[in-house]
Amino acid sequence: MKGLSDYNGIAEPEDLRLLTRLGERLRGRSFLHVNSTSVGGGVAEILHRLIALFVDLGVAARWEVIKGDQSFFEVTKQIHNGLQGQAVEMSPRMWEIHREVNEANAGQMDLDADLVFIHDPQPAHLIGHRRRGVWVWRCHVDVSHPHPPVWERLAADVGRHAAAIFSGAQFAQQLAVPQFVVPPSIDPLSEKNRDLTDPEVQAELEAHQIPRDKPILLQVSRFDRFKDPVGVVQAYRMVKRYYDCRLILAGGTATDDPEGEGILARVREEAQNDPDIRILLLPPFSDRLINALQRAAAVVLQKSTREGFGLTVAEALWKAKPVVGGAVGGIPSQIHHGVTGFLVHSVEGAAYRIRQLLHNPALGKKMGEMGREHIRRNFLITRQAKDYLALWVALERRNERVISI
Amino acid sequence: MTKPDDRARRPFRFFECTGLIRPTGKHAQDLSELLSLIRIVDPGVIYHHTHQYFLKAAVEAPEYYNDFAVWAARSLEERALAEKLANLDLYAFSGIEKVRAALTEIVVSYLGENPAPRPARPGDAFYFNDAVTIVAESGFAAESLPAFLEALDRVGTSSVYFHFFEARFRLRRPADDFSIWIEGDLGRPDLARKIRGLDPYQYSLEGLRGRIRSLLRPDAAGGV
Repeated sequence: MKGLSDYNGIAEPEDLRLLTRLGERLRGRSFLHVNSTSVGGGVAEILHRLIALFVDLGVAARWEVIKGDQSFFEVTKQIHNGLQGQAVEMSPRMWEIHREVNEANAGQMDLDADLVFIHDPQPAHLIGHRRRGVWVWRCHVDVSHPHPPVWERLAADVGRHAAAIFSGAQFAQQLAVPQFVVPPSIDPLSEKNRDLTDPEVQAELEAHQIPRDKPILLQVSRFDRFKDPVGVVQAYRMVKRYYDCRLILAGGTATDDPEGEGILARVREEAQNDPDIRILLLPPFSDRLINALQRAAAVVLQKSTREGFGLTVAEALWKAKPVVGGAVGGIPSQIHHGVTGFLVHSVEGAAYRIRQLLHNPALGKKMGEMGREHIRRNFLITRQAKDYLALWVALERRNERVISI
Repeated sequence: MTKPDDRARRPFRFFECTGLIRPTGKHAQDLSELLSLIRIVDPGVIYHHTHQYFLKAAVEAPEYYNDFAVWAARSLEERALAEKLANLDLYAFSGIEKVRAALTEIVVSYLGENPAPRPARPGDAFYFNDAVTIVAESGFAAESLPAFLEALDRVGTSSVYFHFFEARFRLRRPADDFSIWIEGDLGRPDLARKIRGLDPYQYSLEGLRGRIRSLLRPDAAGGV
């Protein structure tokens, strides 16, 4: 695992200095993260790397995963959809399942730590089992317009934490506890983001029978309705009339997402066996392939209609690729329209911008270069680690606005 | 007049900082709501939206270094209002309450003279945030003007931000830290005056650093 010194020459030096100072201040303290999956999805991915970085700094960081059966994850998927604005029906029994699974897990987990981050709604009810330490609810989803009955029920648990963290200011809620904004990040040294040589890229593509004879359009996302994979296929069809290209939809599967199969079937139906559309179902640990696909792509898409942050945008920008993304959630913080990519609001908008980029590769190259620098300054793991430790200090000195450490 | 290698009475210690954004949960969808909230939010919120734009490490220079002006231009499409908000000489105010009063006056006057602007589109509201600043020693210090310039080149831009803006507004110092040290500890009021004559809102932090460097460099020739 990489240590802080491995980021010299990549991250901002001042971030590394501040992180070192914060580490000195918090050395030996315990920091627990609890979420609902150890593989799949951006949250799990970055947690692996953050834990290693905190340990390297001398903080006793560790991670617990809440365990549940199919019915639990169906319930939490409904909660997730409700938080993202869908008018889902949650019966009293469903909330009961949420509570029961949390209580069963609480009996089996070691929840003792100085600082505890509860990630997303799945483990939110564990707060009832807090014995000590500062507990913070960390929300990774787009809660800009939550379905009120779902949010109100969940907010009862959220409000029992010492603070809540959102990925963007637009997700903040009316809460009695302090709220913070901490955008997620990518690790430039991970297998998914490290530099690859062209032969390495070629080898990965050949291993998966992906030719490079035509420009590649790529969306890497779980098969989730809010990622709009069907809209991506529709945009591709509009582009295809003018530009001969391939579309690759590469989707990981998260163990806490039971809806994926249905969405995948819908995408296959829309693709109609087009030989230039490739649907890749990626098992966990396909990081090198994703890295190669992003490097081989001419245009990367993230046509989400709801999005907590959209880590795949940061990943593609880091590889200096132009990105066409939905103007939702955390995507506008990464795509500065016309500078690091294009923000779109419709299938037609996505098609138009893809055509523009395929027509003018020099524009895409310039945007990609700006995008890489934007990610380097703002969305690398060292910045997120710094934010988390800074937040810890801020929670311990909560009446101060300028805190000297 | 001091010589380039004259020592300061006390060293200048450079600090670096990081900002943590604290959303208030309050947002404005139109100009009237913006005005109501400007009147009541904590002073730290006003400070954040008029000064911490500098901490956003943007790859392109923003049109205005002031969140209120940016929102008026982009989301309300009220260009004249944006210009008035951007042209506010923030550094001339002795405290953040005076900044609040000036912002209020501009918006009240604009609403009095113009038809009410349309609301911002859904999802494009103005979100009011507060911020906490965590400050730490950078490890760089200087006891002479040449050493000051060398350290200034090596610290992060957050150090320029902290010593120029946080020191003045949040720590209520009478001027920026740099000119206070140059005048008081280095005995060069002439150079301090040059720095105080800068218009800091017209620069990115990197640009501000460069301008300070070019103001001080002729007097620092002669080595560390």
